[in-house]
Amino acid sequence: MGLDINTKKAKKNAFRISKERGMGASRIRVPGGYLNAEILGMVQEIAQTYGNGIVHLTTRQGFEIEGIRLEDMDEINQKLQPIIEMLEINQTDPGSGYPASGTRNISACIGNNVCPFANYNTARLAKRIEKEVFPNDLHFKIACTGCANDCAKVRLHDFGIMGMTMPQYDPSRCVSCQACIKGCKSLSVDALRMENDKIIRDTEKCVGCGVCITKCPTRALTRSKKKYYKLTLMGRTGKRNPRLGKDFLVWADEENIIRIILNTYRFVKEYISPNAPGGKEHIGYIIDRVGFEEYKKWALDGVELMPETILNECLYWDGIHFDNKGK
Amino acid sequence: MKNEYVPQLSEIREVIPHTDLEYTFRMAWEGPEVKPGQFFELSLPKYGEAPISVSGIGEGTLDFTIRRVGKVTNEIFENYVGDRLFIRGPYGNGFDLEQFRGKELTVIAGGTGLSPVRGVVDYFARHKEECESCTLIAGFKSPKDILFKEDFAFWKNRISVVLTVDSAPEGYEGSVGMVTKYIPELTFQNPQNAAFICVGPPVMIKFSTLELLKLGVKEEQIWISHERKMCCGLGKCGHCKIGGTYVCLDGPVFNYTEGKDLLD
Amino acid sequence: MGYQLSKQQAAEMFQKLSKTYDLFAPVRKKGEGCFSDTDVIRYEKVSSPEEIAWEAKSDYSFKEALLPINETLFYFTEDETLVPKAPAKARLVFLRSCDLHGVKRLDEIYLKNGYEDYYYARIRTQTKFVLMGCPSSCQSGFCVSMGTNRSDEYDAYLKPAGEVLYADFHCPQLEAYAAETGAAQAGVTPDYVTENHEKVTLPKKLSNESFSNKIWEEYGNRCIGCGRCNFVCPTCTCFTMQDIFYRDNEKNGERRRVWASCQVDGYTDMAGGLSFRKSQGDRFRFKVMHKIYDYEKRFGYPMCVGCGRCDDVCPEYISYANCVNRLAKEEEAHEE
Repeated sequence: MGLDINTKKAKKNAFRISKERGMGASRIRVPGGYLNAEILGMVQEIAQTYGNGIVHLTTRQGFEIEGIRLEDMDEINQKLQPIIEMLEINQTDPGSGYPASGTRNISACIGNNVCPFANYNTARLAKRIEKEVFPNDLHFKIACTGCANDCAKVRLHDFGIMGMTMPQYDPSRCVSCQACIKGCKSLSVDALRMENDKIIRDTEKCVGCGVCITKCPTRALTRSKKKYYKLTLMGRTGKRNPRLGKDFLVWADEENIIRIILNTYRFVKEYISPNAPGGKEHIGYIIDRVGFEEYKKWALDGVELMPETILNECLYWDGIHFDNKGK
Repeated sequence: MKNEYVPQLSEIREVIPHTDLEYTFRMAWEGPEVKPGQFFELSLPKYGEAPISVSGIGEGTLDFTIRRVGKVTNEIFENYVGDRLFIRGPYGNGFDLEQFRGKELTVIAGGTGLSPVRGVVDYFARHKEECESCTLIAGFKSPKDILFKEDFAFWKNRISVVLTVDSAPEGYEGSVGMVTKYIPELTFQNPQNAAFICVGPPVMIKFSTLELLKLGVKEEQIWISHERKMCCGLGKCGHCKIGGTYVCLDGPVFNYTEGKDLLD
Repeated sequence: MGYQLSKQQAAEMFQKLSKTYDLFAPVRKKGEGCFSDTDVIRYEKVSSPEEIAWEAKSDYSFKEALLPINETLFYFTEDETLVPKAPAKARLVFLRSCDLHGVKRLDEIYLKNGYEDYYYARIRTQTKFVLMGCPSSCQSGFCVSMGTNRSDEYDAYLKPAGEVLYADFHCPQLEAYAAETGAAQAGVTPDYVTENHEKVTLPKKLSNESFSNKIWEEYGNRCIGCGRCNFVCPTCTCFTMQDIFYRDNEKNGERRRVWASCQVDGYTDMAGGLSFRKSQGDRFRFKVMHKIYDYEKRFGYPMCVGCGRCDDVCPEYISYANCVNRLAKEEEAHEE
């Protein structure tokens, strides 16, 4: 009796159909790449019981247990259940594994749990977004990074969320040591200068990375109470026209970013090509087709930006083109 | 309680240019007696203060010889005409003339280092009878850097003066060479009664005192004056501190026995 | 005389004290630490016991309550100066025993050592000190080694315990505030530690010979010259004068003094280009020698009070305490 497997369903259930007949891989999403080490033991057990003992750490911070037999998928889904629960993944039917795979794992750098540069808890935000958007079959890539260094490479994502902080300066604590100026110059964008022995910040240049704050020896520079984010849009890899995401919102807040992401799901549902192979079309391609103005209308629906948020009204992406040679 | 930080306005009575970079400002002064080697904090508000040693003490006036080297001194050069400066002082111990009375005194000075000892040299040039002998070895970078030219003209007829420059254009008739070159040539009637003052840049002090010691001079016969960043002049700000010594309070004049141990 | 104040009585006492005094105490500033979502404990005006960070040592010492980081000495026009008025209220400064010993060091420099400092003196004479006890040792402090773990020189001692506040007074004026609330009398003695986790032995035979020690170069290579150690230190007192002018009228301005650090570039720079202690190693040596040798030579007791803040704050993990211990050990080894 031959294997009779609905591969479309299997793929949406977070299994990969491998190049070897009858074999596959089980993919475990870990929002923010942040997990209790206990899960590692569970992954190990599945890999050694059902797979070939090898686990691949995916580029999106998940596990891919390789060498599993496709007929074991149901059993493996049972074994995945405690992992899914520990990671608090939204799920409709317990015991049925992951409910979708289109919207990719929300990845994140290590964030301010550990990193001195990070401006927020990236794992927490990644999990919050995961809660809002998953499960969904639409192909969305979202990533969170702690600061403008962008270790999480969020500019290669449809939505990149970059932590920012608005430096708060108390001149009465400043000793004119210039550590902030030197730090900004060597590690960031050279946005600080001294006048009258006090610091002046060029707000046009400042990227809110927070380097000046970590360099300040007297707490004259501190972080804003509010956490700020930069939202970059429509970065992508791919065969035709890879691009870096562009700054859409600067000095934005968490709530509005989430609203924009959710609005984008509605936009994609409306405009996705009915002929998209496997119901999968990059959001960027859709925006290219219908125009940024139309996308913006959808994205900003119900969004009330804070006064300090800068909205880039007009975005234009370039990038490497492989499909327009000679045009 | 006196607020030592608040300066007083003092009128600029006269300006005596020496070189392109160095002028003497003769300032009005009414206050306690001032000794050569002491210093004042001179300031123009908004440009800050600079410690300047007293280069001359007159009747109701004080001389400050200022080298144009920083933002404060630059500004003083630009703004002097008929103007006033803020001053506060005197600070530091200065030279005690008593210590040199009746001695065979040799003063070795480099560049603006002559300012703090000018008063000492001038005193003994005018009161020759009060010391056994007085010799001045003064060095400048080049002939155009020579300060106090009128004083030299006066002094050379009254005391023994070696005025030397590190280097000079061809045809220069004066002495050429470092001050250290002239130290071995010094002779004394009674070496025990000799006294020495060394003032100038740190390197010059270092090598001059070495030469003196080679001559068999005892450490306690040598006095030096230290240049440091004296920001408050009051033993508070810490900038002039070397080890446990506050140059602004304990100095800037030190006997070599003490001064030699002041290492940065 | 000791008292036990109820929550309400304590609130009342603080309220009344605040009318006469500016109360400066360590306060936990949420999110204002060096890194994201970290706190800093530093001094600020308070008016209730709840605002005070009793639970941990402050990251920055009390000294900013007596020596503002930026202090205007006078305002000037082209030919006049105007000295700002002294603070209207007297001060109560809350601090721990190590810091109370630090006060003596500040006094040594600012009230003695040459001239009496006008600005420090006018605040200092109006200041009373409230001791905060240490029921257990902090991680980095070595107050026991430095003999600063206890102090009786307080005007008041306060200790919150659950719903009550214990108080002891040496100053009758302050005691009146407690008595007025009708608080019950109680036997109160300050908490202090008798042993630290960190122990430090001072070298006995430092001299100019110690300049050639290799240890300075080693630490100098690690030090980044940020000056944090100086700024958190309760005994560092250096400052720099600054003249600033008002942008709208450049002929007017003010002269300030601003905290300075012997580790930061520019500390010894003179107009004309002379500067001393150019290497970070020389600066580190200067600081350590000052804390444990030079100051003592001048004033008769060590400068360091063993609060351990410099070790806590160093971003390069340089331990001053360990450096001092290494110097002492080397000395011992040399003798054997």
